[in-house]
Amino acid sequence: MTSPSSAPVSLEQFGNPAPKFINRMMKLRLSENLQPGVVTLLVLFFCIYAGYRSGDFWSALNWQLLAQPLSEAGLVSLGMMFVIACGGIDLSAGATVGVAAVTAGIAAHHNFPVRAIEAAALAAGILCGAFNGLLIGVLRLSSILVTLGSMILFSGIALALSNGSSFAGFPGGLLWWNDAALFGIPVEFLFFLAIAAVVAVLLRYTLWGHYVIAIGSNRVAARYSGYPVALTLFGVYTLEGLLCGMTGILLVARLASARADMGQGLMLMAIAAVVLGGAPIAGGSASVIATLVGVAAFYIVQDGLLLLDVPPFVQRALTSVLLLVAIAAGNLLRGSRKDLR
Amino acid sequence: MSSSSSVLGRLRLSFHRHETKLACLLFVLGIAIAAAAPRFFSSVNLALLARSMGVLLIVSVGMLNVILAGGIDVSAGAILAVVSVVLVRLGNHGLPASVVLPLGLLAGAGLGAVNAALIAELQIPPIVATLGTAGLFRGLLLEWTQGEWESSIPPWLNSIGSPRWGGLDASVLAAALVMMAAAWILHCTQIGRALFRFGDSPLAAARTGISARQPIYFAYVSLGLLTAIGAVFYAAQLGAVQGNAANGYELTVIAAVVLGGADILGGRGSLLGTFLGVLLLSSLQQALVLLHVAAFWQNIATGAIVLLGVILSSAPLLHRKLLLQQSPSA
Repeated sequence: MTSPSSAPVSLEQFGNPAPKFINRMMKLRLSENLQPGVVTLLVLFFCIYAGYRSGDFWSALNWQLLAQPLSEAGLVSLGMMFVIACGGIDLSAGATVGVAAVTAGIAAHHNFPVRAIEAAALAAGILCGAFNGLLIGVLRLSSILVTLGSMILFSGIALALSNGSSFAGFPGGLLWWNDAALFGIPVEFLFFLAIAAVVAVLLRYTLWGHYVIAIGSNRVAARYSGYPVALTLFGVYTLEGLLCGMTGILLVARLASARADMGQGLMLMAIAAVVLGGAPIAGGSASVIATLVGVAAFYIVQDGLLLLDVPPFVQRALTSVLLLVAIAAGNLLRGSRKDLR
Repeated sequence: MSSSSSVLGRLRLSFHRHETKLACLLFVLGIAIAAAAPRFFSSVNLALLARSMGVLLIVSVGMLNVILAGGIDVSAGAILAVVSVVLVRLGNHGLPASVVLPLGLLAGAGLGAVNAALIAELQIPPIVATLGTAGLFRGLLLEWTQGEWESSIPPWLNSIGSPRWGGLDASVLAAALVMMAAAWILHCTQIGRALFRFGDSPLAAARTGISARQPIYFAYVSLGLLTAIGAVFYAAQLGAVQGNAANGYELTVIAAVVLGGADILGGRGSLLGTFLGVLLLSSLQQALVLLHVAAFWQNIATGAIVLLGVILSSAPLLHRKLLLQQSPSA
């Protein structure tokens, strides 16, 4: 006996929203799982082709060299993942990396101990992030506008602090980040994986992570549910600043110099990586694994194209095509053309 | 006295308009400049200011169209570079202006159409789509030029950029014409009104019979076309172009439009505001140059002004819009 007619009020009378809702949930699930899979598949095919054409592709040295810039961009991307998950965007990430790097340079110039140099760079990153967080979270300004302004502002500050020149002569303790390796794996990459694990826990198993997703899905609902929207957003942008500070330190250690424009390009790369991992730019969804797939895809393809002797400018064009194709493929597979309207 | 109170009410209303606040800001800046660098208001410098505003204003009008439609385009700088290199290269090959100029404009409109197609047909979010095409256009352009400078420009292009009419050049005239055309299109034609409606709410626009594709194509193609027009004067004024030209220019353009009070969520914005935004940014930069301030302080001042404009414009507006808007669960 399954007839619902005995019930006094049938859901059908109200147009029964349940099936539609479940349908939507299923679609969301599917879309979440699909895009990183598509990207991984594309990259795997590419790896096989690159390995076939170039003997150096599968060498340990190639992957060691690849892992270091990947970890730097990866840290920024993890922060950007949170920012995008809560429905925002951070255009000032690259400039923040520059500020942190220059701060480290100044600290080293004054012969600070290694830990103090690192702390100064992290503090600079946190300050930049907190500035954004204050304007976006507390004053409720639009994230794209605020970070557009602060990007110009921070890059100016970094240039003013460094007087347009570059710093060199860093202590060996700081360069350790670049030189050290464990079982042949660069310590920079292990550090990145550790941070990724911490971030994954933050996202999945803390109330704060829950708030971030809720705000990204529907900010008004989150506010009416009594979630601390301002505080959460402040935290998100501060975390992005902190991760940019870490990236600044790693960049300084790898290049043994510090310049104001060091983070150039990292911002666009981070946004592209998060989106390539399948996160909707409107927010409400985030996955650390997907972001890792997105970053890794970019760097592996770039590195492979380099080994295949593709001209550098064409590499840039092809990685952009990869982004567009992956997003378009994800959209088409998802069949979400109607959902977006 | 109902008539006087309504006048008062209208005055109060217009005081809350973003353009009024912007004009006040401009006025304060003007006084500060007059005190610090009186040379700024000499006729020679004002003509120079007008010349430096032309290109930015033309491209900003295009960006206003895109932002009105609820989109954004970060590939405008790349389009500007592509078109200016196309113009100069073809011109240096000896092709006449009557062939090169239409080709350049067509190239700009075509690249804009690529953006529009990605956004309208493949449903890629605007910022992602244009991020991708920016890298694509720029990469292909650099491969074509191999990073080399085109250090000479054809004579007809040179004559376009040379000053006449008391220090003004053709870019000022073109900017004025573009402003007038845009005012007519945005306020008196169907597609212009559709742009506002679509940007305000795509769903409501669809319910009232406005196509979901048309405003997107119109916005991005018009930006491409206007960027191409800007590129003519950009190349003419600079006298040399290269593949990395106008790197990051799109951000200045977006900053100017946003400073002019356009709502980044779409549906709100005005030509007057955009003009004031461009004027504010350009005169600030010009004044800092006159004061011999180092370049990085210009960045700091520009960033601070943009942030100030954002705070002035969007705090009450955004709050209201957020409460009204059911965010789409894309």
